[in-house]
Amino acid sequence: MATALTDRVLMKGNEAIAEAAIRAGVQAYFGYPITPQSEISEYMAAHLPEHGGAFLQAESEVAAINMVYGAAGAGARVMTSTSSPGISLMQEGLSYIVGSELPCVIINVMRGGPGLGNIAPSQADYFQATKSAGHGDGRNLVLAPSTIQEAADLTLLAFDLADRYRNPAMVLTDGITGQMMEPVAFREGPSLPREVPAWATTGAGDGPVRLINSIYLEPEALEAHNQRLQEKYRRMQVEVRSEAYLMDDAVVAVAAYGLTARIARTAVDRARAKGIRAGLLRPITVYPFPTQACADAAGQVAGILTVEMSAGQMVEDVRLAVEGRTPVRFYGRLGGVVPTPPEVLAQIERLLSEVKAR
Amino acid sequence: MADAIETTLPTQQLEAMKGVKKVPLEEFFTSGHRTCQGCESALVMKLMVKAAGPRTIVLGSTGCMYVANTTYYSTSWVVPWMHTQLGSSGSAGMGTAAALKVLMRKGKMKEEPINVIAFCGDGGGADMGLSAISAALTHPQYNFLILLYDNESYANTDIQLSGLTPYGAHTTFSPPGKAKRIMHRRWKKNVAGMLAAGHPECRYVATVDASYAVEMMNRVRKALTIGGPTFIHSLDPCPKGWDYDPMLSHELGELAVDAGVWPLYEVENGLLKLYGRTKQIAEKRARRKPVRDFLLKQGRFAHFTDDDIDYFQAKIDEMWTKWLIPGVIPFHTELDRDQPPA
Repeated sequence: MATALTDRVLMKGNEAIAEAAIRAGVQAYFGYPITPQSEISEYMAAHLPEHGGAFLQAESEVAAINMVYGAAGAGARVMTSTSSPGISLMQEGLSYIVGSELPCVIINVMRGGPGLGNIAPSQADYFQATKSAGHGDGRNLVLAPSTIQEAADLTLLAFDLADRYRNPAMVLTDGITGQMMEPVAFREGPSLPREVPAWATTGAGDGPVRLINSIYLEPEALEAHNQRLQEKYRRMQVEVRSEAYLMDDAVVAVAAYGLTARIARTAVDRARAKGIRAGLLRPITVYPFPTQACADAAGQVAGILTVEMSAGQMVEDVRLAVEGRTPVRFYGRLGGVVPTPPEVLAQIERLLSEVKAR
Repeated sequence: MADAIETTLPTQQLEAMKGVKKVPLEEFFTSGHRTCQGCESALVMKLMVKAAGPRTIVLGSTGCMYVANTTYYSTSWVVPWMHTQLGSSGSAGMGTAAALKVLMRKGKMKEEPINVIAFCGDGGGADMGLSAISAALTHPQYNFLILLYDNESYANTDIQLSGLTPYGAHTTFSPPGKAKRIMHRRWKKNVAGMLAAGHPECRYVATVDASYAVEMMNRVRKALTIGGPTFIHSLDPCPKGWDYDPMLSHELGELAVDAGVWPLYEVENGLLKLYGRTKQIAEKRARRKPVRDFLLKQGRFAHFTDDDIDYFQAKIDEMWTKWLIPGVIPFHTELDRDQPPA
C-alpha cells in the first residue's frame, strides 16, 4: 500500500507496536515491566486511556497473562507484551488460553537467555513460540516482523488472526527491532468488526449458559477437543506468509526471519555484487511455517544457509521442509550477539565451496 | 528424625551495636558496583551484610541491586551471592536454608550457623513475590531473613509503578498530563504490617531506614539472631525514581520518617515496638514534620497542587490519629469518607 511521505512518522519499534495495537482497537492491555519492551507498556499507560481503553499494570507476567485470559473471556480485544523471561512465566496461562480458545495478542520482544540472560536482541525463543503454546498440544500463530513498518502491520494482522481463529497470535520480535527507530505509516484496522462475541462471559440471562474452560476429564473428550484444535491448526496453514528476495535465479538461498533477515539481505546483495547468485527466503509467519516455499527453494538451489540469533531453532523447520533434497547449513550467534553481513557472506561462500566439492 | 526435621538450627548470636563507633570496619559489599550516585539501596546492601558478617549467604532477586552489583564479570559482594528469579526471594531463600539444614543433618557439611539473607526490591517483593514471601514466613523450622529494599518503583527498568509507589507519583506508567494530573491513585501497600499481622509463625518483622544506619543494622542483627523466617522492609530514597539531587538521599530518608510517612517499628514474637524517631513522634517527644517538606523535594511530586499535598497530609494524619495501631495496622473503628482531590 503506497502512503504519502507525510503519513509516515519516525518511531521506536516498541512504540509503533503499541500505536498499531491502539489503532487495531485494542480495548484492554495488561503489562509488566521488562527490558527491552517496557516502552510498549509505557506507551499504553500514556495513550490507551485517551482512547477509552483499560491499561492495567500486572504484579507479574503470570498475572498479566491471566488478566488477558479473563478479559478475552469477557469478550474484549486484548493484548499483553513482554520479553523472553516474561514469556516463560506466561506459559501456563497461554496454554489455558489456547485450550479455552480465546483470542488475544502477545508481543515477545526477545532478549538473550537462558535465565535472566541479558537485554540484547535474540531469536532463541523460536521453539517456545512456534512448537507449543505452553504445555499440551496447543499452538500460537506467530508473526515475525523484519522492519518497524512490518511490526506495526503484523500487530494489526495479529488481532485479526486471533479473532478469526479464536487463538493467541504472537508477534515475535527482538530487542533491536523494539528499540530502534524507523519511519512507519499506520493503517487503520481492524478488518473484522469487533462485537462482543456470542461465546463471551457477558452475564447470565440472554441465552445458553456460556462456559469457558480447558478441563476435559474424560480422556476421549479431551482427545476430541484436541482433534478439533488440530483441525483448526490445519486450517491456520492458509495464513502462511513469506518473502522471496532475488530467489528467481538463485543457486544458494539464505533462510532468515526478523532482524537476521535484514542482515542476510545485505549479505545477499554483497554476494550478488561478487557474482554469486544468492537469494533470501524470509518467513514472515514462523507458525504456520512456510514449508512449501522452503521445499520449492530446495528443488532449485544447491544449498540453503539458515541464519539465526540462536543455537539453531528455525533451521529444524527448514530441514523438515527440505527433506534432505539439498544441504542445509546453519550459522548462528548466541546470547545477544548480532551476526554481521561479512560473517553471513563468508558462510554463503563456504556453503557454495562445500557444495562444489561434493 | 522427625524432631531433627522440625527443630530449628541455632542461629548466630549477633549483638546489637552500641553506637556508630562500635560498628565493624570490615566490608562485605565493597566497591565495584554500578549503582547511581546517591543510591540508598546500595547503602542498604552494604549495611545489611556488614551487620550480618562473613558467614552469610546472600540471595537477590532481579532488580537494581542485582543488575548493578553483579554484571560485566564483576561483583561487589565479598560473601557468597546468588541471583534468584524476580518473584522468588521467599522461595529461593527458603530453599537455601533447607539445603544447609539437610546437608548439616546428613553430615555433609560442618554444623554451624550460617546466615541466609534473600533480598528483593519492591516490585519483586511486594508485587510478584508477595505470595512466595508469605509462604516462606509460614515455615518456622528454617532460618533466613527476607529484606525488601523499597525504592518505590521498578527502578531497574526505568521507573515504572510498583505496588509500593506512593499516591500520585510520576512514573513512566503514571505520567501526569494536562487533562489528568494524578495518574496513580492507589495508596502504597502496607507490606510489613500485612506480613506481621498475617504470619503467626514469623518471629520478627521490622521496618528500617538506612538514614538511621545503626538502628537499621541492629534490626538486621536481631532478625538473624531470632531465627526462623524473618522479614525487614527498608525504605530507600532513589535519586532517579524520586527525581532529586543525589546529595539529598540521606536527608530524604530522614524526612520520610520525620514526616511520619515511613514509621519505624518492629514486631518481635508478636510484641510491637515503635523505635527511633517514630517512637519520639508517637510519644510526643518530637513533632511530625509536614509532608510538604518531604514531597516537594522530589520531582516525582512536582505536579502536585496544594489540594494534592493537603490530601497526602490528611492521609498521613489519618494513619497517626485514626488507625487502630497508629502507623502500623490500618483498621478503623469508624470510617471517614475518602475524598481525594479531583
